[in-house]
Amino acid sequence: MSSKTVYWWVGTTLLAAAYMAASMVVGGDRRPLLIGRTTDAHHQIEMACETCHAAGPFAGAAAAERALNETCRNCHEAELNAADDSHSRSMFRNPRMAAYWEKLDARLCTSCHAEHRPEITRTGAVTVAMDFCVACHSEDEQDIRLDRPSHAGLGFETCATAGCHNYHDNRALYEEFLVEHAGEPGHKPEPVHGLTARLRLRERPAETALGRDDAVAPAAALADTKVLALWAGSGHAAAGVNCGACHAEKPDAESEPADVAARTGPADVVAHWIEAPSTGACKSCHEPQARTFARGRHGMREHPGIAPPRNPVEGLERIGLSRVTPAIVTDWLADPFPPARMTVGEARLPMRADADARRALDCGACHRPHDVDTARAAVEACVSCHDDSHTRAYAGSPHHRLLQAELAGEAPPGAGVSCVTCHMPGTESRDTITTNHNQNDTLRPYEKMIRSVCLDCHGLEFSLDALADAGLVERNFRGKPKVHIESVEWAVQRSTADGRSGTR
Amino acid sequence: MLTFTEEILLLLGDDEGAFLPIREHAFECVLAGAVLLDLAFAYRIDTDLESLVVINAEPTGHPILDTVLARVAARADKTDTQTWIRMLSTEYAAAIREQALTSLVGRGILERREERFLRAFGSVRYPTLDHAVQRGVKARIARALDDAIPDPRDIALISLADACQILPELFPDREIGPARVAQLRRMDLIGREVAGTIADIQRTIVRAARVQAQRTQNRLLSFSIAAAAGIAAVLLVPSIPAPDRFGPSVLEHLWFDRFWQQWSGYLLLAFSVAVLLIGVALRKRLVPRIAGLRRWRLAHVVIGFACVPALFAHTGFRLGANINAALMGFYLAALLSGALAGIAIGAVHRLHQAGIGRTGNLRRTLLWLHVAAICPLPALLAVHILAAYLY
Repeated sequence: MSSKTVYWWVGTTLLAAAYMAASMVVGGDRRPLLIGRTTDAHHQIEMACETCHAAGPFAGAAAAERALNETCRNCHEAELNAADDSHSRSMFRNPRMAAYWEKLDARLCTSCHAEHRPEITRTGAVTVAMDFCVACHSEDEQDIRLDRPSHAGLGFETCATAGCHNYHDNRALYEEFLVEHAGEPGHKPEPVHGLTARLRLRERPAETALGRDDAVAPAAALADTKVLALWAGSGHAAAGVNCGACHAEKPDAESEPADVAARTGPADVVAHWIEAPSTGACKSCHEPQARTFARGRHGMREHPGIAPPRNPVEGLERIGLSRVTPAIVTDWLADPFPPARMTVGEARLPMRADADARRALDCGACHRPHDVDTARAAVEACVSCHDDSHTRAYAGSPHHRLLQAELAGEAPPGAGVSCVTCHMPGTESRDTITTNHNQNDTLRPYEKMIRSVCLDCHGLEFSLDALADAGLVERNFRGKPKVHIESVEWAVQRSTADGRSGTR
Repeated sequence: MLTFTEEILLLLGDDEGAFLPIREHAFECVLAGAVLLDLAFAYRIDTDLESLVVINAEPTGHPILDTVLARVAARADKTDTQTWIRMLSTEYAAAIREQALTSLVGRGILERREERFLRAFGSVRYPTLDHAVQRGVKARIARALDDAIPDPRDIALISLADACQILPELFPDREIGPARVAQLRRMDLIGREVAGTIADIQRTIVRAARVQAQRTQNRLLSFSIAAAAGIAAVLLVPSIPAPDRFGPSVLEHLWFDRFWQQWSGYLLLAFSVAVLLIGVALRKRLVPRIAGLRRWRLAHVVIGFACVPALFAHTGFRLGANINAALMGFYLAALLSGALAGIAIGAVHRLHQAGIGRTGNLRRTLLWLHVAAICPLPALLAVHILAAYLY
């Protein structure tokens, strides 16, 4: 090998290294630096390293760890609080728990959830061995076998994998809750999802409803009769939401929905007409849905905790090169601007081959903008992209048949079970029912949906068994559970022996 | 007239003032033997079946010859030629070499030039000033290889060059068969009273040099095979899974605990830098090619071999992702090509015995790959370390 070749080769690699160093310090695509596959949906935000790596450059190990854990809580704390976290951070920060810190430091999320470690990442993004309960529950007063004779022969690896316990969310397994629901039939006599039923039966005031003739829009838009017909039959028209509410430019960024609603005069609407409104128009009225959407996997790039792209000028200023760097280099060093929203092509879950890979997951991906048909969004929108066995098995499943019956008027409102029924169930707050657009709220682990969804129609024992049977879940609940979780029997035995009762 | 030591040093010198790479201990044996040959040709020593004895203790006028002569004369018990060569190569090799080089510099044949590299490696070069003398010595050997009845002194010089295994490098354009060299060595040195002594010394030099050469090559071969086996394990054996049981796990700590990863990384970095600097120094001929060659090359091979377990400790032989995968790929390529080159060099005699005589192209190709794989490593390592501290 000649010296010239060596120098050329070394020079090329040094240039590449210089670019990589610049991408770290100033700006640019840093995905080539990822040390390992990110966990679950975190790949959606992996181009914004500072979202998690919030400690500054060259921070000490302890500071970096603290910052990492803080950013975990930024996004997941509300969810954990809602789940009544069984092993909350606040519980373990108590100095009386210091003895457990050495075994498994539960004050830190990263003790069990290390990122970029695909080799040791198990179910639920756990990066310690799945018998981790043994750390604290195998000795002293926390030894689970002392007051649970039923657990004597069980291995610790089964605690979190057999469909019984979860580290954080154990709402479906509180002992009193189990006892209260003992003996329930697998299928309730009148299986109806209560909140969905109320939503379906909601009445809209007739005086505010709009018709085709009430539409206010430029003449060209009004000429599109198909769109006009869709709108006239939509919930928007029924609720008195005219074209200008979405298509008319807002007076300023902080405009209130009322301001927009006030802009209904034809001249105003035509003057400020926007052909393709952004999702901001949706958010201005559907704030709770938008908020929960940003917490789920479909919309997590909109979460306020996600770090924005870096400004390369600021990076160059930090190292004193902002004045000597030409604009073309500064532009070149800009962070790659990822799609503001997740696209179908970026999904790690199996997606249909005929789904548009470039389709961004905004409101319009599931809700057609003019007819706003929630029935379509509840099933058709999901199955048009998702291609896993659970989704494929939905058509013709018992839940699907119930939905068809409801839509045909052969079953009461709320009796049908769509994708949304389980994965985006309605929630009620201050007498207002909204659809929870965080599809992860009832997933990972599945047991999270027992209280909020399953129990509307099924007994607790049946629900526990069904969700513990992975094959049954894959078949979208065609058939009966082949797995039996004995939690209810054990709770009843213990309760009977102790003479306890009550509900939590 | 030049001594044998001076002549062999002239033959070993290249145009840049460095020396042809030969095994250090073999060369030490050659130096010791060259002095004994000079003493034999000067009718100062004789040999029999059991011992080497002084027959004339009168000084020759060459300081180092006289020092060795006094040393031999002072020993009371019977000592054979082989033992003397072993003892002299240990005790006097450096002095013999320095004295001969000083003499050549004093005569205006060589020039002494000192150089340093990164302050860590000092080297002395001896560029040739008078090429005519060097060419004359080579011409004598060429004639001796052709002549039916060569001069006994030229035969002795050929024996020394053969012991150093530099004849192919001295005459790359001609085929020098081992049979012709052996025939020359066996020639009856008619008219010389010390013919038996010279033949005895020649045989002993060649034998001692070859034994040492074989030992060094075996060592090189062993470390290279071990390194190659380690790398093959990386590529062929599935990665070790993480433990399924919660609790202290050495491997999990080693591979996934930041503290241990950091320290195993420091260790690997230290090995890598050391092996790289030594490699550069060897390639750029910045270490003494004779006195230090064996030590530095063995160090290069041993530290290179040590990189394999250090790499295991740092990565668990997981290939990594993205830039780390590139780093791991080039690192493994550098280690593997280095190990294979070591095997090719270490096994050259075995291959020769097996009838595979021409391995030069293979060695050159492997060394080329070795250098090509090493070139990107400093940049990739820098990015890897910077990323680790920034994030």
